[in-house]
Amino acid sequence: MIVAIIYLVLIVVSILLTVQSAHVLYLMLYTWDRADAERQARAPDEFLPPQISFSVLLPARHEEDVIQSTIERVVRANYPAELLEVFVICSQDDDGTIKKAEEKIDDLKRKGLHNVRVVVFDDKPINKPHGLNTALPHTANQVVTIFDAEDDIHPEIFSLVNTVMVQEKVKVVQAGVQLMNFESNWYSTLNVLEYFFWFKSRLHYHAHYGSIPLGGNTVFFARELLLRLGGWDDRNLTEDADMGLRISAMGERVRVVYDDRYVTKEETPPTLGHFIRQRTRWSQGFMQTLKKGTWKKMPTRKQRWLAFYVLAFPRGQALLGIYLPISLGMILILKVPVLIALCSYLPVLLLAAHFLVQAVGLYEFTGAHGLEASPKAIVRMAIAWFPFQMVLAYAALRAMRREMLGRHDWEKTQHVGAHRATTEEAESRVG
Amino acid sequence: MSDNPTPSRPAAADAEGRNTPADKNTAAGKGTAAGNGTTADNGTAPDNGTTAENGTTAENGTAAGKGAEAPARRPRRRRPRFSVERGWFPPLGTKGKIALVVSLLTGLLTHGYHLFRYPLYLTDEGIYMQRAWSLVRETSLSPYTYDYDHAPLGWITLAGWVYPLPKQFETFGNAINTGRFLMLLVHVASVYLLFEITRRLSGSVLAATVTSFLFNVSPIAVYFQRQVLLDNLMILWLLLSLFMLLRREITIRSVFGGGLALGIALITKENAVFFVPSFMYLLYRRVKGSASSRFTSTLWPFAAATPIGAYVTYALLKNELLPSGFDFDLNNPPADHVSLLYTLWWQLNRNQGTLFSHTGLLQTSWLVRDKFLLIAGVCAMVMCLWIGTRDRRRNLGFLIAGTLAFGYAFYLVRGSVVLDFYVTPLIPMFALNIGMITDRLLKGSFANRFMRGAHSLTRVAVPSFVAILLLVSPASGYLVHTNTEGRTQIADQYQSKINLTGMQHAQIAWVRKHVPPNSRIIMDDDLWGELHDVRPFYPYAHSHWNASSDPDVRDKLFRKRWQNVDYIIMSNKMRKSMMTNNSDGRENWILQALRNSTRVWSDTQGNIKLEIYRVQ
Repeated sequence: MIVAIIYLVLIVVSILLTVQSAHVLYLMLYTWDRADAERQARAPDEFLPPQISFSVLLPARHEEDVIQSTIERVVRANYPAELLEVFVICSQDDDGTIKKAEEKIDDLKRKGLHNVRVVVFDDKPINKPHGLNTALPHTANQVVTIFDAEDDIHPEIFSLVNTVMVQEKVKVVQAGVQLMNFESNWYSTLNVLEYFFWFKSRLHYHAHYGSIPLGGNTVFFARELLLRLGGWDDRNLTEDADMGLRISAMGERVRVVYDDRYVTKEETPPTLGHFIRQRTRWSQGFMQTLKKGTWKKMPTRKQRWLAFYVLAFPRGQALLGIYLPISLGMILILKVPVLIALCSYLPVLLLAAHFLVQAVGLYEFTGAHGLEASPKAIVRMAIAWFPFQMVLAYAALRAMRREMLGRHDWEKTQHVGAHRATTEEAESRVG
Repeated sequence: MSDNPTPSRPAAADAEGRNTPADKNTAAGKGTAAGNGTTADNGTAPDNGTTAENGTTAENGTAAGKGAEAPARRPRRRRPRFSVERGWFPPLGTKGKIALVVSLLTGLLTHGYHLFRYPLYLTDEGIYMQRAWSLVRETSLSPYTYDYDHAPLGWITLAGWVYPLPKQFETFGNAINTGRFLMLLVHVASVYLLFEITRRLSGSVLAATVTSFLFNVSPIAVYFQRQVLLDNLMILWLLLSLFMLLRREITIRSVFGGGLALGIALITKENAVFFVPSFMYLLYRRVKGSASSRFTSTLWPFAAATPIGAYVTYALLKNELLPSGFDFDLNNPPADHVSLLYTLWWQLNRNQGTLFSHTGLLQTSWLVRDKFLLIAGVCAMVMCLWIGTRDRRRNLGFLIAGTLAFGYAFYLVRGSVVLDFYVTPLIPMFALNIGMITDRLLKGSFANRFMRGAHSLTRVAVPSFVAILLLVSPASGYLVHTNTEGRTQIADQYQSKINLTGMQHAQIAWVRKHVPPNSRIIMDDDLWGELHDVRPFYPYAHSHWNASSDPDVRDKLFRKRWQNVDYIIMSNKMRKSMMTNNSDGRENWILQALRNSTRVWSDTQGNIKLEIYRVQ
C-alpha cells in the first residue's frame, strides 16, 4: 500500500515537473519561436528627434569608486542636456558617496552642465525603494527612469526609449539588461544566460499577456503613472517586480525592448556568498509579493495565473531541491518497476533539453555581443550545471526559512566595488 | 484469386546499414542559395489556406503588398510565387479543396470496402495484435520473451487503440479486424498528409491529386496498407514529421514536433532511418539564415532522439541492453538473457538478398501486384533526382522527393533480408515522385490565351486519361483483372464474391466445435487472438515460430517431442515458412508430428489451402 502511494507520488510529481519545465523551456524560447515576437523585441532602426524629457534616478550606497563615472555616462548620453535631469540618491550617513557625487557635480557645473543633483534622505528604512520614493517628488520631467550605480548604459538609450514611447504611446518601457562576464567564475556563464533568456525572451511573453515583473533598472515610467501609484513599496524586497505587477493590474501596457545593441551591461555577483544572498533576496521578495496579493487584482485569469506562476516559482524551486535527491534515492534503493522508472526519468530528459538550449543560448549570446564561446565554456557549464541548480534551490530554501521567521530585513553584504550588478541588485548599497 | 503465399518471418531484420547521405552537397547548396536571401520581402505567399498559421501571414501580406507596388511596371502577374525553402506555398483554393476531399473519400472507399475480407490474415498481423493483447491483458510487451526484434511503439499504439473500445479486441469481429480498422483511419490521415506534402513540395494541386490517386488506388497499396503492419503506422508518423517541416512558418515548436514525430516513427519501425538524411537536408534548407536556426537545428535531433532514448533506457533498466559478457558472437547467441544490441547486431549481419532473382519478391509479388507504380516510380525517382540535383536551389521539392524514395529503395536492393511487406513505405514515396514528375512534364506557360486554355485542359485530360486507362485495363489490376480462367472481372480487393478471411473463420469455427480447449496446438500467429482472447480460451495454442524457438514453449510445454502435440492448424503459407525456418532442424519435431497426423478438415480457394491435422 505504502509502496503504491510512493509510486503514485513519483509519477504525479514527475509529470507535473515535466509539464512545468517544458513550459519554462517554451518561455525561454518564446522570442525565437515567433518571428513576430522577434521583430517586435528589436529596437526601431531609426530614432525620432528628442521630444520626451527624462528624470534619471541613481540610487547609490557606498559607491564612492564608481559614482562619478556613472554620472558622467548618464550626462554624456547622446540626448540633449535640457531634456535630462539626474538625481543621485544617498542616505545621510553615506558621506563618501555624497562627497564624490558633489565633486562631480561641481566639475560638471564648471563645464556648463547644471542638471545633476544629490538627494539625501535620513529616515528609515534605508533601502532602494525608500530612496526612490524620496527622490520622486523632486523630479519634474515626463519620464522617470532608474539606473544602478555601476550600470554601463548605452549612449543611445534615451533616444531609443523616446522613439518607442512616442511611436507606440506606451507609458512604461523595460529595456534590456545583460550580465556580460560569462567567463569570470564557475557560475557566471549560467547566471549570464539566465539574464539573456529572461530579458530577451521570457519578459516579452509576460508583457504580451499583461503580467510582468519588471527589472530594477533601465526601466522607464511616465511620471504621472508613478505618482498615481504612490511610488514604490518600501517594505518589499523586490519592489521592482511588485511595481510591474501593480502596473499590469492597472491594465497599463508595458513595452519590452531587448536589442543586443542597446542593452545596459552589468556583471555577475563577485562571490558565491553574494550570489546566494542576492538570490535569497529575490526569492523572498517574490514570496512577499505573492503574499501581498497584488496579483489577485489582475483583470483576467490568465494574467493572475501567470503572475502567481512567477511569484510561486521560488517555492517550487525549493521543493524541487528537496525532491530531486529523494526521487533519485528512491529509484536506486526501491528498484521501482520499469514503467515507473521511465516516467520518473522524464524530468531528467527535460533538464537535458534545458541544458542544450542554454548551450545554444551561449552561442547566441556571444554571437550577438561580438564575444566568442568556446567548447571549454560549454564543458564548464555542464560541470557547473547541477551545483548551480542546487545553489538556486538552497537560496530558495533559505528565503523560505527567513520568510517563516519573519525576517524581512535587507541582508547586509560587504561593499565590493564596481563589479556589483544585477537587475534588482541593491543590497550592497543599502548594507 | 491472386493472393501470393509469401514467407514471412516474425523476427524481421529491417533496420540496418546506412544510406548515402543525400545532403553531401550542402556546402555547394549554401553557395548558390545564399544569393537569394537579399530579395527577401517576407512572405509574398498569398496563402490563407487551411492550416492555422497565426496572425503573421496577414502582416507579411501587407508588407509584401507595399514592396510589390514599388516597381509599378506592367500589371502584376497573378501567379503566386513558390519556394519550398521559404515556405511560400500557393493557397489550397477551391479546386484544391475539392481534390483533397475527393482524395480522402477515395482512400476511405478503396481501403475501407472489403477491409475485413481481403487480404488473408497474415502472420505478422497476428504477431502485432498478439503483442497488443499482451499489453492490454498482461501489461507486458509480448506473451513470449520479448527479444527486441522490433521497437515496440507500433503495438503499444495498437494496444492504445484497442483498450478504450467497447469490446476491445472483438469490437470489429476479431483482433486483426480491429487492428485493420485502425489502419483505415491511419490511411485516411496519411492521405491528407501526403496530399499536403506533395502540394507543398511541388506547389501544385495536380501533383498532389495524382499522388493521392496512386496512394489510394494502386493494388499494391490497397493490399499492404489494409494489413496491420508497423510500416503503415510508421509512415503516418513519418509523413507527419515531414509535414511539420513544411509548414509555412517554421517555428521551434513545429520543428520540435517534427523531430519528435520522426523519433516515434523510428521506434515504430526502424527502417524509417533510411528517410532521415532527406529530412536533415530539408531542415537545413528551411532553417538556414533564420533567427532561430541554432535552436531549431539542435532541438530537432534532440526531439528525434528522445523516443529512441526511452527505448534504450527501457532495455537498460531491464538489464537487456548488452549481451552478457559483451559477447557479440553471432554463431553463439547469449543464452541467459536477450539483448537489444545483440539483436541489432544480428540483424545488421543477416544477408540473404534474393530480391532480383526469378523467385525473388520483386518478380513473384511486387511486380505482380502493380507493375505500373513500381516502374513509373523508379523512372520518376530518377527524374526527380536529376531535376533536383541540377538546380538544388529552385528544385528543393524534387530533391527531397527523389532522395526519400532513393534512400528507401537503396535499403531494399542492398541485399539483406527482405520480406514481402517491406515494400510498403516505398509506395507513398513512389506516388509522390510520380505526382511531382507528372506536374513537371505538363508544365508550360503560354502568352496566347487560346494556348493557355488548351494547356490547362491538357493538364487535366492527360492524367485523367491515364487514370481511366489504369482503372479499366485488366492488365493493371487497379479495378478489374483477368482471373485464372481468362475472364475479366472485378479485382480481388473489391470482389464481393471473394471472402478470403472467411476461410480462416471457418477453420476457427471447426476448432471451436471439435477441439477441446486444453489441447496442445501448433498453428500460425494469425489465429492467436481468436484462440487466446475469445472464450473458451486455448492457452496451449502456439505458433510454430514460438514452438520451435522460445525455450518456455519448446522445452517446457512440448519438450520437443511430436507426441506432445495434439493438433496442427495449417496453411500452405505456414508449411512453406516451416520449411524455410528449418535450416538448422529446429522445426523437425513439428514436421514429424505432421507426418504422424491425419487431416480432419481442409478448404481450398485458388492458391490458398487451409487444413487442420490431428496428431495420433
